[in-house]
Amino acid sequence: MAAVQADSQSRSGGRFLREKGMQKWRRQETVTAYLFSLPTIILLLMFSLGPAVYAFFLSGVSWNLLDQMHWIGLHNYAAIFRMPLFWTAVKNSFIFAAVVMPVQTIIAMIFAVIMNQHLPARPLFRLAFFFPSISSSAVTSLMFMWIFNKLGLLNGFLNWFGISGPDWIGDPRFALSAIMILNIWSTSGYFMVVFLAGLQSIPQNFYEAAAIDGASAFQRFLRITVPLLRPSTFFIVVMGMIGTLQMFDQSFIISGGTGGPLNSTMTMALLIYEEIFSYGNVGYGAAITVFLFVVVLLLTLLTNRWLGKPIEY
Amino acid sequence: MIVSPAQKTWGRISRGLYLLILIVGALIMVIPFLWSLSTSLKPLNQALAYPPRWIPHPFLWKNYIDTWKTVPMERWFLNSTLVSVVVVIGNLLLDALAGYALARIHFRGRNLVFFGVISMLMIPFQSIMLPVYIELRSLGLINSYAGMILPQLVSAMGVFLMRQAFLNIPEEVEESAVIEGASRWRIFWQITLPMVQPTMLTLALMMFMSSWNNFLLPLLVANKLQFWTLPLGMVMFQQQYYTNWPYLMAAAVMATIPIAILFLIFQKWFIQGISTTGLK
Repeated sequence: MAAVQADSQSRSGGRFLREKGMQKWRRQETVTAYLFSLPTIILLLMFSLGPAVYAFFLSGVSWNLLDQMHWIGLHNYAAIFRMPLFWTAVKNSFIFAAVVMPVQTIIAMIFAVIMNQHLPARPLFRLAFFFPSISSSAVTSLMFMWIFNKLGLLNGFLNWFGISGPDWIGDPRFALSAIMILNIWSTSGYFMVVFLAGLQSIPQNFYEAAAIDGASAFQRFLRITVPLLRPSTFFIVVMGMIGTLQMFDQSFIISGGTGGPLNSTMTMALLIYEEIFSYGNVGYGAAITVFLFVVVLLLTLLTNRWLGKPIEY
Repeated sequence: MIVSPAQKTWGRISRGLYLLILIVGALIMVIPFLWSLSTSLKPLNQALAYPPRWIPHPFLWKNYIDTWKTVPMERWFLNSTLVSVVVVIGNLLLDALAGYALARIHFRGRNLVFFGVISMLMIPFQSIMLPVYIELRSLGLINSYAGMILPQLVSAMGVFLMRQAFLNIPEEVEESAVIEGASRWRIFWQITLPMVQPTMLTLALMMFMSSWNNFLLPLLVANKLQFWTLPLGMVMFQQQYYTNWPYLMAAAVMATIPIAILFLIFQKWFIQGISTTGLK
């Protein structure tokens, strides 16, 4: 704005001198702007964009972190695509995302809508729901390992109903489900707050008009709330998808870093870690990294086509 | 609108139902924490009792002291604090500077820088852990505080948040200072930055939380016990030593306390942070 103003001034008398001053000022501004943003640009290039690009390069080498690197082109991709463990990890990550993302989104939406009903003790409820998402993954994973123990709290609870619960973490049929429950529990509250913010922006008169027309509460939820929450839903679905597809901490902690039992909790991110630290196979790890990028990018674009349109009132 | 008695009763029933659902939901959210607290106060044999019992008998507060003595909790606390505080300060300064430049200064390449930052919002750390690890390794930053701090020192999200905050301050505030020829640094530091203090608080809280809770970066960087942070230390304690659940839960409770206190005091700003980053 200041620049625009100075522009209009320069059109009046003393044009030449002013324009020269203007140019100097502009240059100064550019220098300042880069000085201000340089540390950020450098750090982001070093630790975010740079590594992303570097992963593409590393996916073409054979390297065990110690010896000389060899360029081997696309061989790493061919190798991981033939590796059963890779497909196990892909399958686990996808199942995990396909269950956790929709469930947490729906739970978050339902609780946000309920909490928006002017019920008493709202701040207290919000506190309770939000609390899991401020705790570290290490704390929540350890807490749930204890709860999921064969003789733990959850099975004690199931026992009341005469159900003899499984060994959640030790049984390959249940270990991934246990991590799903943990993740749904720990992220739903966070997304609920996002939905609550989205709900504030829906005009109240829509609901009043619909109520006068005789729409039931459920119809109002389905016909007004859900469609008008689309921007929040889009954000939550994308964030949820990225978060679940790259899940690492919980699998690592609960399986003791192995992805066990029987690779039932091996995820793509955990496999990348294993490729570096257990197998010393940087090229494989990088190829899986690139694969993960491409999957997340494609799914994000797809979601964008599905949910990303702006709302027209 | 005329409300019939039937509708009124129905309204009351549905409100009761909503409240019930909320209470059940809130209990599910809180019970794991209460259970950890309860376990942390039990003697080991009571903790392992089945079916589980809620109230410890006696309350064994000594578990906390024993945990503190058995594992180097003090060291992990110091490491976590050091890393988190530096990360918060770095983000406050650097994110604000870059956010200011992007919001206020018209310069060549601004759109490029802005879209670069936005695109980095989409790169979560898990997906670049391998190249980042190799980079840190070749820089000799494995087993160093710098290795745990530098990758978190700026955040694309923070730059974005600060830019939004600066855009919300009317430009007229700076106009007279710009015309008088005050330097950008002075305008930024003395006039505009003080006006975005609430956003700075939000950013500080979010960065503290993410750094305090970070597990993966310390896992990659710190192989030596003296560099472990709290989350890493707890997990290593569980995996390498033994499964004394009362001690583990005591450690978990202690690790959560600082964040819980911050959250209770500054709840409003936490929520605000989510609402602004989560929507726009």
